[in-house]
Amino acid sequence: MKTELTCIICPNSCQLEIESEQTADGLPLIQNVCGAFCPKGVEYARQEILSPCRTISTSIAILHGELPLASVRLTNPIPKDRIFDAIAEIKSYVLEAPVSAGTILISQILGYNSDVIITKTVPRKSSN
Amino acid sequence: MKTPKETAHAQTKHVDVAIIGGGPAGLAAAIQLYQNGIHNIIIIEREKQLGGILRQCIHDGFGLTRFSEMLSGPEYAQAFIDQVETLGVPYLVNASVVHFSPEKHLTVVTPSGLQTWDAKAVILTTGCRERTRGALGIPGDRPVGVFTAGVAQAYINLYNRMPAKEVVILGSGDIGLIMARRLTLEGAHVQAIFEIQPYPNGLPRNIQQCANDYHIPLYLNHTVTQIHGRNRLTGVTVSQVDKDRQPIAGTDKFYPCDTLILSVGLIPENELSREAGVALDPRTNGPVVNEFYQTSLDGVFVSGNVLQVHDLVDYVSLEAERMAGNVTAYLHKGALPESSIRIVAKNSIGYTVPQRISGQSDFLLSLRVSRPLTDCRISVCQDGKEIAFRKLKKAIPAQLIQLTVSTDKLSSGHDLEVSAHEN
Amino acid sequence: MKQLYDVIIIGGGVIGSAIARELSRYQLKICVLEKNLDVCYETSGRNSGVVHAGFAYDVGSLKAKLCVEGNRHMGVLAEELGFPFRRCGKILVGSTPEDRTSLESTLAQGMANGVSDLVFVDKERIRQLVPDVQGEFGLYSPSSGIVDPFLYTIAFAENASANGVEYFFNHEVTAISLNADQTYLVTTTKGTFYSRWIVNSSGLSCGKISDMLGITGYTVVGSKGDYIILDKRVGAMLPMPIYPVPNNFTMGIHLTNTIDGNVLVGPSGGTTMDMGDYSVPGDNIEHLSTCASRLWPHIQKKDYIRNYSGLLAKRLDENGVIQDFKIEIRDDIAPHAINLVGIESPGLTAAYAIARYAIALMREREKLEPNTSFNPIHRFPIRLRDLPLKEQAELIRENPDYGEVICRCEQVTKAEVLQAIHNPLGVHCVTGIKYRTRAMMGRCQGGYCQMRLTQIIEKETGEQATDLRYARADSQVFFGKVRQEAE
Repeated sequence: MKTELTCIICPNSCQLEIESEQTADGLPLIQNVCGAFCPKGVEYARQEILSPCRTISTSIAILHGELPLASVRLTNPIPKDRIFDAIAEIKSYVLEAPVSAGTILISQILGYNSDVIITKTVPRKSSN
Repeated sequence: MKTPKETAHAQTKHVDVAIIGGGPAGLAAAIQLYQNGIHNIIIIEREKQLGGILRQCIHDGFGLTRFSEMLSGPEYAQAFIDQVETLGVPYLVNASVVHFSPEKHLTVVTPSGLQTWDAKAVILTTGCRERTRGALGIPGDRPVGVFTAGVAQAYINLYNRMPAKEVVILGSGDIGLIMARRLTLEGAHVQAIFEIQPYPNGLPRNIQQCANDYHIPLYLNHTVTQIHGRNRLTGVTVSQVDKDRQPIAGTDKFYPCDTLILSVGLIPENELSREAGVALDPRTNGPVVNEFYQTSLDGVFVSGNVLQVHDLVDYVSLEAERMAGNVTAYLHKGALPESSIRIVAKNSIGYTVPQRISGQSDFLLSLRVSRPLTDCRISVCQDGKEIAFRKLKKAIPAQLIQLTVSTDKLSSGHDLEVSAHEN
Repeated sequence: MKQLYDVIIIGGGVIGSAIARELSRYQLKICVLEKNLDVCYETSGRNSGVVHAGFAYDVGSLKAKLCVEGNRHMGVLAEELGFPFRRCGKILVGSTPEDRTSLESTLAQGMANGVSDLVFVDKERIRQLVPDVQGEFGLYSPSSGIVDPFLYTIAFAENASANGVEYFFNHEVTAISLNADQTYLVTTTKGTFYSRWIVNSSGLSCGKISDMLGITGYTVVGSKGDYIILDKRVGAMLPMPIYPVPNNFTMGIHLTNTIDGNVLVGPSGGTTMDMGDYSVPGDNIEHLSTCASRLWPHIQKKDYIRNYSGLLAKRLDENGVIQDFKIEIRDDIAPHAINLVGIESPGLTAAYAIARYAIALMREREKLEPNTSFNPIHRFPIRLRDLPLKEQAELIRENPDYGEVICRCEQVTKAEVLQAIHNPLGVHCVTGIKYRTRAMMGRCQGGYCQMRLTQIIEKETGEQATDLRYARADSQVFFGKVRQEAE
């Protein structure tokens, strides 16, 4: 079976062609991936056929900060169909300023090998 | 004895370099100058924080070539802001340049006073603004609910306000695609993305992860022909267009919605350049420059989106750093080599940057094709002889293309012609 | 017992607010009932801002008389009320023998109406007056001018308010009845009011309100006018408005330099009975550009900032011919009611004179005592950009909020935004602040400043995010916060 995909790993957006075969237990067996400029593309293809994963970015509420929100993102992709569950979990966090970019907000979100890190530094609002 | 009126008008400050705009281009330029030993500089930023447009670009895709990481916009900006702080590069925030004269005299409005600055060199890194509904002249009512993508992005990511529930997006550029995903993740329903061209404008990766992933249909050859709603938007009429991008009669369809997001083009922000009399190229809407990134005004340099709209911020930083190197040379030598060799855009080339060169040094040529091409050869010729080329499997107008041109092969002071041909 | 007003003015546009201001010179309890959230949403805020000289109207008509009077008084009024006004002059241009005949009769009509400085000029002179204008000859009207129609209307309203007039916004009149004691009961969408006098200055609704007063039979239609706004870059090249050869029914598609430096191209449009239709059709934008380009070559799509539409209430006779202003008191049907019907162009120019005329009718029927504390002077907050640099520096020192630029295209500072939000009439919608400061009216159309603007409005008024209105009551801007816990 031939599948065509766009790799989303980097802006190159390589057009990938994957040859796979359905095995007895229902899982696809990937035979060949071509069109990838780098190994990450091959890995992306395998993952996409088996269980598509994505990273996302969103925001959390910040109290007493120079800004009302701090942006956050996932460090690794998680299954695509869990994205909205991840967002719901992330939204429940409210932090007080100051917060620093790079801080881990949630470790191993939903039990996956992916952390949620804060990506924006928000200083405390100076009272004057 | 000075009267209060005289003291209110503080003394003019003198610097070697004034950088107008503290976004990615301005920050990279400032750091490079500082590292080159040019310390008497000032970054003037009108927002309350440094970082420019990156502050609101919370999605990843930044820094792959520079940091070998897929960072969000704020993280990319923070790397440079941290360096600015560590080096002690002087900067002003919440400061707006209101006048810029050809003599490189700046008037800056800040809450702590009206300031005037004199600089030996001025760098404009003022970025872009978005094309508006008014500029497009989309017919119909003028309700609230029509937002450019950047405004919606700022509301959601910086101001904590949700301006949309039922959404239609016009324009398949990256900003429109990114907002399709952002709006969906925050609970809005994006019904469709419409693109007037026969090909999508944004990166295929964004079409996949922003539109396809969320089952948002992308319709090519379509545009919004009427806006409805006297108070808040109630819907838009969408029509199919022909090969001349004209609406086809009988293809009208009404989409009820409360929000229309426009992602229909970026315009380099050159109001200050205009005021000072800098010559602009109507094809880029940015200044005409030479390979040193110097404009038609001596000692005035530009880089980043104000010069040409970039796709990747990594290349913005590189461009700004190259420019800063030239500014350094300008300060040391007092002038840069004359650039009298014109670069002319020919077959299928939309524009080139720079538009003029000295011919004395190799340079990076940036360009965009004027129509989509496959299996093509970008060719730089002088007097009919090819002196540089680049082969590409695919080239689209949305994508910035760059190639290094060596000037060894130059044989005269005649024009260089740049063209693109499909095999 | 509900409060009894001496005068209720229905419609707070330029006519209603001019009447309010002039009436506040007398000891009267006055209120204005305005259906919108601000005073300049309809005709008053949707025109070219031209102060007409008075030559384009039938000799002996109220339009002619009141226009000339209003024009003459405009300089004094601008001094008193502090709105921007410039007597820049105007030219009308023509090329054909028919044009010449037309302009000559316009000249004669103008002279008869009292516009004594109107003069026929040759090709060389029109080019001197407006470089690049296309035409063989023209008429030059030195007493014509331009005004900011928003600030002009708001100034009348704020001065009226300062002199005791109450403004009720979001109050649409739905019924009027005459009580046995000859006082009026006015029913609105937000409650009832009682008054001895009524003024119908409701503009587009003048036919409707006239009917409510029992004065029926008027035919009022909406005359649509669409405009394109061009960038200030183009405005720098146009020193005064350029008009084509007029007739007494339409001014034609013209080019106007605005007092803030833009160019307006328009108006053009048909008639409508839908007094809320402000849509601009696509082919009209083309049409405007084509027609105006015949007068002046500098109209290009790349300079379009925005387009907008306006409506004029025109009174017609049974043959569909446009009629003069109707300003009357019908003692037999509606005693103590000043009925203004069909106040279209030159209503803006004539507003003060219309107000004096209307009040004169009132004074024929009632003795009015002067209000000795009447203050004719009104000032808008200082704009940083209007001051020379040295004074700008001083102003910022006194008030650092003048040092924070909110709208970059129009150079509007935070101090101006704050003062606009805390305006005397209590207007809080986004367009209210826009018209008072010019924020969002520049080339980026709020791309840079609208987020800041809405944030400041919310903070200063204490409104919830979902309460903020853009212009009218149904124009909600936000559906809520993205994260509830944060600001």
